[in-house]
Amino acid sequence: MTDQRTHGQIEPGHGDPGYHGEHGGNQKYIVVFVALCVLTTLSFLTYFNWWDESFSPGVSRALMMAVSCAKALLVMLFFMHLLWEANWKYVLTFPALMMSVFLMAMLVPDIGLRTRHYSEQRWLHAATPRPSSRDLQREHNAGDPDEPPADHEEGH
Amino acid sequence: MADIKHAGDPHADHEHGSSAHHGHLKLEYQPALPLNNGKLFLWLFLSTEIMFFAALIGTYIVVRFGAPSGTWPTPEDVHLVEWIGALNTFVLICSSVTIVLSLEACKANQPAKARGWFALTFLLGSVFLGIKAYEYFSKFDHGIFPAKPRSLIHEKPDIYFASHVDQHLREQAAAIDSRRGENGQLSVEDQEQFDTVNNLRDNVVAWAQREAARASDPALAAAPLNLLALTIQHHHHHDDISALFDREAEELETDLTRVEMEIRELDAQLTPNKPPTTDQSGAQDEPSETPDPAVAERKLELENRRSQIQGRLKILPELKVMEHGINEHFDWLMLPFVIPSGNMWANTYFLLTGFHAIHVLVGLIFFAFPLVGGAVFNAAKANFVENIGLYWHFVDLVWIFLFPLLYLF
Repeated sequence: MTDQRTHGQIEPGHGDPGYHGEHGGNQKYIVVFVALCVLTTLSFLTYFNWWDESFSPGVSRALMMAVSCAKALLVMLFFMHLLWEANWKYVLTFPALMMSVFLMAMLVPDIGLRTRHYSEQRWLHAATPRPSSRDLQREHNAGDPDEPPADHEEGH
Repeated sequence: MADIKHAGDPHADHEHGSSAHHGHLKLEYQPALPLNNGKLFLWLFLSTEIMFFAALIGTYIVVRFGAPSGTWPTPEDVHLVEWIGALNTFVLICSSVTIVLSLEACKANQPAKARGWFALTFLLGSVFLGIKAYEYFSKFDHGIFPAKPRSLIHEKPDIYFASHVDQHLREQAAAIDSRRGENGQLSVEDQEQFDTVNNLRDNVVAWAQREAARASDPALAAAPLNLLALTIQHHHHHDDISALFDREAEELETDLTRVEMEIRELDAQLTPNKPPTTDQSGAQDEPSETPDPAVAERKLELENRRSQIQGRLKILPELKVMEHGINEHFDWLMLPFVIPSGNMWANTYFLLTGFHAIHVLVGLIFFAFPLVGGAVFNAAKANFVENIGLYWHFVDLVWIFLFPLLYLF
């Protein structure tokens, strides 16, 4: 593969003065920039006390992640030009994205849930304090209110 | 890569009519992906980078939410300033726009304009790193480092924490002591610091260690160590700290009264009430009873206790007025402090932001070369600018996720 061959065939406008303005000129970048600033401000609103008083941490975190995903999409689609690229973009990005999801999923049992099965002895040497039974109950109820509490399961 | 021509394609049917009829496909092979080598390399590199940062961010998320409830440090605990993070986000977003404008100027064959945007991107990247460096130094100034032995963070207030604090105070005292002049005198400032260190050793650290050792119940033993941790460092949400000191002072006053009463009783036992008899020759009789050694020992013990309580009572009002604890009041001390899950936080924070900063630095190097080398940012340079731009946008993408996760969650 050479630059000349593929470059000339697939991206005829690149490097060509006539290419300027092909996807609407620089105006779209300014619009995206403003959108990114607005979205960042939206995330930053969660910092203030009045926000904490009005919304639960779960709602704030969901909003922040949604805002981050929206910002990431804007950057990828417009600044990285993926909106106008051919289908090779899926070939190069999807496997990596899937691997990323697997990586995160594989960390959950070993790290995220590591304290779930700590023995009494292990808790004595744990770096973090043991949560109270009330915390555990609250966490459990928040996770799945239909299931019986873990204490009951262990008891039987 | 192969393009698949459909069996129903009339052109294909004309050439290979019978094959297509039997469901065979005509595959037209292309020699490569339809993009230039540099861009292909960049995208392959970025796809590995996606996995790299996904692993780091994923680790942070599971560690953060795997920590027991209420134990993850708040930004205030670890001296993270949210608006500085937001400012850095803004700087990076601006740099993303400037690099894409530089690319457009290159494509339009406007070298001066392209160079200007490119230089501005370099400047904004440098500002980002400068702000990051400021943030790092503010952590280092507060004893927050990626790992021990430099990190002063303890995860919980236990005997190891108290020993570590005591060791620091001993080292401070020794360091100040070594500054004595030829006449064996310390300067006024040094003498003041020396007294402060000894006062803290006796009436804060040794007091907490002793009280913890005196408690029979492990739960009661934790209370003085917890108070020691709060005395060294606490934040706005610990407004009740002065109430804790008030309660302690009240208890100690009661304790002091009891101890003094007991001392008086022991004194009475040790000093016989009957006045010494005088015989006819005028010589005084020696007291007939010798003091009980156990009583004398008990009295000595109580006198020690009295002086300990008095020392503690004397320092409590001073501790009460320290707004955020000893570490902030005496910023030259830098004592070890307690932040639950603090070391885990520091590990992940420095790892994530450190790797991101390295990526920014690499980007800046790639920006610097053409700027310093006097490259002409014309249409021929567009591929280079596009590739470095792709890399830079990825750096921006990573920060887009790091900012809320590290500063706002």
